[in-house]
Parts: sequence; C-alpha cells; structure tokens
Amino acid sequence: MRNSWAVCKREFESLFSTPVGYVVLGTFALISGLSFTASFLFYGVMSASPSTYDFPAVPNFEETFLSPYLVYSGMIMLFIAPLITMRLLAEEKNQGTIEMLLTHPLRDREIIAGKYGAALLMLTLMMVTVMLNLGIVYYFVDVEPAVLIFGLATFFLMGAAFLSLGLFVSSVCSNQITAATVTFGLFFLSFIMSYYAEEMPETAPAPEGWPDSAKTFIAHTYDLVRSVVAELPVDAHAKDMAQGILQPYDIVYYILFSAFFLFLTFRSLESRKWRG
Amino acid sequence: MIEVEGLTKSYGAFHAINGVSFKIDKGEIVGFLGPNGAGKTTTMRVLTAYHPATSGSARVAGFDVHTHPLEVKRNVGYLPESVPLYLEMQVRKYLRYVANIKGLSKTERNHEVDRVMERTGLEDMAGRIIRNLSKGYRQRVGLAQALIGSPPVLVLDEPTVGLDPKQIVSIRQTIKDLAHDHTVLLSTHILPEVSMICRRVLILHRGRIVAEDTPENLDSQHTLLLQAEGSSERVRELLSLVDGVTGVQETSSGHYTLNVTDDTISGQVSKALAGAGMTLTGLTAQQRSLEDLFIDVISRDEGNAA
Repeated sequence: MRNSWAVCKREFESLFSTPVGYVVLGTFALISGLSFTASFLFYGVMSASPSTYDFPAVPNFEETFLSPYLVYSGMIMLFIAPLITMRLLAEEKNQGTIEMLLTHPLRDREIIAGKYGAALLMLTLMMVTVMLNLGIVYYFVDVEPAVLIFGLATFFLMGAAFLSLGLFVSSVCSNQITAATVTFGLFFLSFIMSYYAEEMPETAPAPEGWPDSAKTFIAHTYDLVRSVVAELPVDAHAKDMAQGILQPYDIVYYILFSAFFLFLTFRSLESRKWRG
Repeated sequence: MIEVEGLTKSYGAFHAINGVSFKIDKGEIVGFLGPNGAGKTTTMRVLTAYHPATSGSARVAGFDVHTHPLEVKRNVGYLPESVPLYLEMQVRKYLRYVANIKGLSKTERNHEVDRVMERTGLEDMAGRIIRNLSKGYRQRVGLAQALIGSPPVLVLDEPTVGLDPKQIVSIRQTIKDLAHDHTVLLSTHILPEVSMICRRVLILHRGRIVAEDTPENLDSQHTLLLQAEGSSERVRELLSLVDGVTGVQETSSGHYTLNVTDDTISGQVSKALAGAGMTLTGLTAQQRSLEDLFIDVISRDEGNAA
C-alpha cells in the first residue's frame, strides 16, 4: 500500500512536471464545458416550446440533458485516456527505468496499483470539472442530488474502464505512440460497436428450408453476438446510470471490465520472467 | 554473500550465460570482465532478481533470487548499465523517491539522501533537473540510488563508463571505500580499473567463466621496454646476469623487449647497465591491454576446450 502510494505520487507528479497533465486537464475542461453549455442552453430552448421539438410536454431533464451530457463527457475520455495511459508503463520501458523499478523491493501488483492510481487521480481531477458543471445544474434546477452523484459515478466508472484498458496496452508496448494509437483504436472500435448494436435486427437471418437444428444454432449464435456487441461497449452501460437509474449489473460490468484489464496488465508485466 | 551455482539463461537456442558458478564473500570487491555480449549484464540481472535464470541457482545475502526476490532486492543496490533515471525529476526528489520505495521511513529518508549525496559528491546538484545533468553526474545519481539504504551487496554495471578522468578517479575511490561495509560486484571493460579496485576478477566469455583469479596473477606476463645505447651483444651479456630476466628481444636498433618475472626488477636492470658504463635512455614496464589479456585467456580457454 505504502509502496503503491509512492509509485502513484511520483507518476502523478511527473504528469504535472511535464505539460501532459495541464494539457489533458485543460482540453477536457474546455470540451466538456462547451458541450455542457451548448446542451444546457439547447435544453432550455426545448423546454420553452416543447411542441416545436416534438415533445408532448417539457422533456425529461435527466433523460434529455443529464444523461447525454455525462455519457458525452465520458466519451471525451475516449480521446483523452490514451494520452494519460500511454506513458504509464511504455515510457518506463523505453527509458529503461522499468529495470530500476523491478529491481527495487516492489511487488508487481504494487507497481500496477500505483500506476493505475495515478491515472485515477487524473480522472478525479477531470471529475471535479464535471462536478463544477453539475454544481451549476444543482443550483438552478430542481434535481435530486443522488441523481447527480450517480451521474458523477457513471463518469468515473467509464473513465476508469478506459484507463484500465489503456494501462494494459501501455504494458504491452514500449513506445508511447504505439500505445496511444492501439488504445485509441480499441476505444474507437468499442464506440463503433455501440452503433452497430442499434443497427442489428432482433432476429437471426437464417435461410428458409434449413434444418431446424441449424436454425436454432444460428439463432443462438446470433443472439450471443448481438448481445456482446450491445453490452460490451464501454458507454452501453452508462446511459441508465447517468439518469439515476441504478442497476447492479451496470456497476458490476465496469468493475469487472477494469479488473480484467488490470489482471492482464499484471500478466503482461510478469511475462518478462519467461519471455526472452 | 553471493553464491551462484550452474546459472544458465537461454533465449531460445541462444545461451546468454551457460553454467556460470562463482562465490563472492562478504566485503570482497570482485570485477566482472568480459567482451561485449559475454553475459555480464545478464548475470547481474539474475542476481538482482530482474529476470529469472533458465536453470541453476543464485543466492544473494542468503536469499534465493527465485524464491525470495523481494528479500534479495532489499539487500542489493543495483546500478544498471544504462543508468535509468526519471529525467524530469530533481536529483533530491528522485533520491527521496528511491528511498521511499526501498522502504525507508520518512525521517530516515532525508538523512539517507543527504548521506549518499555527500558520498557521491552531488550536494551542489540537489535541486537540478536530472535531464540537465551531464553524463558524469547522471552516473553519480545512479550510484547514489544504488547506495541508498546501505544495502550489503552492490551490483554495479560499468560504473565508470562515460566519466571524465577526474571523475573516474573519484568514483573508483568511492567504490573502494565502499568495500569496508559492502560486498561489491562490478563489471568493466577497463583492465587497469580492475587491478586498481578489485581483489578478484571473473572473466566471462560467451556466457562462461573462463578465468577467475587476482588481477596480479591474471596479468602474470611482465614485460619491460628498454632503450639503451651501445652494442646489443654487450647489452644481452649484461642482462643475462640479472636475476629474473627470462628473455631479451631486440625489436629495433637500441630497443629491447625484456621478459621478466616481476616488474620490480627494473631497478636491477638499470643498475646493471649503468654500472657497466652503458647509457640507458628509457626503461618502462609495458602495460598489457585488456585485449591482450582477453586474447591470452580466451585462447588458453579455447585450447583447453579443443
């Protein structure tokens, strides 16, 4: 624990002794602030004359403004997270400092926890900027504080999932650019998948006249593929939670997602022991 | 302090080290000598529990590197060859970080960082960003990093590479002083360095230890270079009377190469010639280069293998 904190602190400080931390935080604050302002104003326009926008009544605040804004903020992480995670382990390998880290009395899991912790601290700072925005909402709009807190939690869980995947990629690469590109590619794939999920028809397109067993097989396989495509993307589980609808499986999804990639990172770091 | 038994590290079919065995006692300074790719760094990385060996065993400070890596790491200060440092950090902050991950308490940390900075002559650089330091100072930061916490075993991979002559002298002295309370294993390319610092030398070649001895014994072929005026017959005659001269060759007119049993007989040589009224214009002990020694040891080794 103490060792993890030492690694975490050094990593976090180095983010801010180089421009990376400021650039990442500034860019995020700018984009999320702009999108907040735009969607908040648009929501105001919509609720002033709902019929113009095909709403029977004043549109639901959580559904029409809060959830899209928070999921959108989380999706900004898609672009920003690779910049935070790319250096975590790839730079240590590139600079050779990994040798120094691994010959000090640190356990692999302490190193990984420290690195991930530093990324989460950065995420927390970003969450603070989102919190400022939500503070304005809370001041002007009559909304349950719990909804806003769940909203923040959604953002954090989404970000944490992105960061864990990024950390894993960084542990496999020894070059920051490679790490960032691969991470971004995987994020983008997940982003595209959630669009495909909406396009996929509900039933299996099995040809007529095939034996029933084949039809059943195709139907089951198709269901499986379809549910994976629908459920796997990082933003798929955020929409409900960001409106204050709390589902245990959404939270479990995020925790498992992060845990899975932290586990892979651990394995990847360990692979030095048997790899050439 | 260090016991290595039949250590082998293979990358596929290639054996970086192959059946290396040696023992280093407490308080010894041992030099690891060998051409590039001989397996020095690989061995050191096994000893510092950076990567495991394919087979064989290694114990450092009483702990097996494979089964107790954390204890080994606690007892070893390691300066890797590439001197990896966090370039964006200040010297003092970096060393404090190292002290922290070595498990020193908050109060010990400041004291320990001051101690190693004084020992490596870094006091004036405490607030400097490592990126802006010269190679020599970076090397010292690396050494300071290894010294933090006074680990009983120090493993130094080419500690004097890239330093200027004055720094080399001071680092060598520092390492020599360390021998009082540390066991030191250092690798180097430089033969005089080994004879200056180490009491024992291990020569690695193609992943195997081909010689293990004191620097003096390894460098047992002594040669004097002599320049004298006068007839060569007379010179040869006089030299044959000196004890310890085993052979004389005249390389060019007035220049002789003497095979001797000991460098210190140069006094007798000069006395013998001067006493007979000859004019001595030059007399020096020939320094054998590392290359000569390697060729010598390795050809001996290959002769044995054949």
